[in-house]
Amino acid sequence: MMNEQNQGPSAVDDLFERTLLDVGIPPCPVVLDRFMAEVRKDEPDYTRLANIIGSDVSLSAGLIKTANSPYFGVRQRVRSVNEALTILGLNTASRAVAGIILRKTFPNVPNLERFWDASARVARLSGWLAQQLEIRGLRAEDAYTFGLFRDCGIPVLLGRFPGYQAVLDRANHDAQVSFTEVEEEAIPTNHAMVGCILAQSWWLPEEICRAIRSHHDLRALTQAGSDLPMLSRRLIAIAQLAEHILQHQLGLSQTQEWCKLGEACMQLLDMEEARLEALYGEATPIVSSDE
Amino acid sequence: MSSIDTLTGFPNRFGCLQMAEQLSSDAVVSGQPYAILWIDMDRFKQVNESFGHMGGDEVIKSLAIRFRTRMGGRAELCRMGADEFVLLVPRCDRDQAQRLATELCSTIEEPIAVGNLVLHPTASIGIAIFELGEGSLELLERADRAMLAAKTKGGQGVVCSGDEPIPGRLGVTLAREELAVENSLHFALENGGLCLHYQPIIHAHGHIEAVEALMRCSVNGESIPPGKFIPVAEKTGLIIRLGEWCLLQGAMHARRLFDAGYDTKVAINVSRAQLISPKFTQALHAALICSNAQPGQIELELTESLFMDVSDHVQRNLKNALAAGVRLAIDDFGTGYSCLANLKDIPAGKLKLDRAFVTVLPEDRRALSVVRAMTQLGHELGMTIVAEGCERQEEIDALLEVGVDAIQGYFYARPMPEEQLLPWLQQRSAT
Repeated sequence: MMNEQNQGPSAVDDLFERTLLDVGIPPCPVVLDRFMAEVRKDEPDYTRLANIIGSDVSLSAGLIKTANSPYFGVRQRVRSVNEALTILGLNTASRAVAGIILRKTFPNVPNLERFWDASARVARLSGWLAQQLEIRGLRAEDAYTFGLFRDCGIPVLLGRFPGYQAVLDRANHDAQVSFTEVEEEAIPTNHAMVGCILAQSWWLPEEICRAIRSHHDLRALTQAGSDLPMLSRRLIAIAQLAEHILQHQLGLSQTQEWCKLGEACMQLLDMEEARLEALYGEATPIVSSDE
Repeated sequence: MSSIDTLTGFPNRFGCLQMAEQLSSDAVVSGQPYAILWIDMDRFKQVNESFGHMGGDEVIKSLAIRFRTRMGGRAELCRMGADEFVLLVPRCDRDQAQRLATELCSTIEEPIAVGNLVLHPTASIGIAIFELGEGSLELLERADRAMLAAKTKGGQGVVCSGDEPIPGRLGVTLAREELAVENSLHFALENGGLCLHYQPIIHAHGHIEAVEALMRCSVNGESIPPGKFIPVAEKTGLIIRLGEWCLLQGAMHARRLFDAGYDTKVAINVSRAQLISPKFTQALHAALICSNAQPGQIELELTESLFMDVSDHVQRNLKNALAAGVRLAIDDFGTGYSCLANLKDIPAGKLKLDRAFVTVLPEDRRALSVVRAMTQLGHELGMTIVAEGCERQEEIDALLEVGVDAIQGYFYARPMPEEQLLPWLQQRSAT
């Protein structure tokens, strides 16, 4: 099925690679390796490949943006990796990934291990939670996409400001001041704004972009006069819940976000404490899964 | 089943439907539409509570008499329920129905004496015009919904079916036509339907002063003019996204020009909604960071009124933009409430004269004098002066003669897509 040697790079390949460069976030090297290992098999597993790509912020953004570009003419809007893969085809995606590795499109990749791992896990668990909680109008795929891209501003800022890791650590541990306000004390913007601007340029739905922009904003979540669409608020709530469950179950990289936003999130999802207790256990297989 | 309301002598709900059936078939034969006006008294519950049901009945009776007198056989009158009336008006189009509804409002609003108190009634009226193929019940329902929309707007008003505000995707209520534009806009935003075209601004010395980024929007190959989508974007809040999208794409373009060896400035329009937002500075920095553009290569175009906005957010945003290293330009200068005295307080390095001054040149000597004065003043304040909308050689000669520094307009170049701009620049520098 994969026959890269016989097919020269097409216009789509160029478009995809240019898009990836525009995305500005390096793909996770482990994901690239895992992807190529699967592609090289005699009979690569399509679902597995889709899952591998879908776990990476950069590759997913690149795929979705490429599939939504005018190059493909009038199509259904694409808002998930699966839909994007159907349009672009696995061959194109594979050639592009191979190209990235070969041409070292992203040299000097900073250490983003924690970011890559966290986004993939939050995305997976958010998608699962959306299915479990059955909230009207909230698609599991949107919850997954939001979970994956929520923090995509972080690697961009890590690449630009040498002291940003220390800022992140401070923001993670501040129990009073909002995450983005801590960032703004040190830099002239914040990761939510950077993420939103990027998501807009990837042609993502407005509700997802707004959710990225406001995902640390308690007032936007709770205030009666807030103009944040309800879908955006619920996306924020579900990803925050996913992050909380992950931290609760794995006991790693504790942040203060649940203390600051947890109550609002529970209300938005119309959830009782007892349901949360039950979810800790039910989510275990998803939490511990690696892909 | 009785079809008459005993209090008013009007046909009731049942009688109304029968009459509507009849009028519908007449309308099909005659080809002339008929109208339904659904009238619902505002706050009638309070009348009943204050005066008792007997008092309420008295009010209804006097209203019924007023309707009958006023209509004088022009319409069939029905009573649908406690405080609801329906008028069926044969051979009546939308405009006529609207005039009739206004007439009815003034009839209703005449004070009514109840005992020794005076009541000032008002009503909400919904209008629906019969459409071929539509059932009578459907038509009545449309009129009812229009009435409810009038009520939601605060009562004492008229709404035509089709004009009811409907909540759009982002929760903002819009009229039907606006809703269609909002849908197109979302489609464009999610399907790569936006792009920027660039129009070069040529300096009198021959070099390219800047290129202005202009937004284009198309859905399914059909372009939507800015005059249509901008007002809807402003209403729904999508204008912020459009503006930020422009900012990032314009900055990325500036970076690509830089990488190709051109330090040409890219001028990007900033809307009022963006600049009054406390988040503007963050968005600007986010765009600069993501694009890796040289801030000095970015020029923000703002209208004069924005510079003069004294609100804290706007002034802070302007200050922060300058601190970030981007340039500022005054767009469309000379229209609106332009005040030359204000110029001294505006931290912009460029003044763009509105096309209104250009199109009358060179014949209009007075306009030319104004341009000369503005140019001199701008120069005194250290600004570069650009004239917009130049299409003829004579205009350009006159403008350059009075000292204008740079020219933008079809005469030199139309706005072009990015892939055409670079070859255009290359060809120009070759010659």
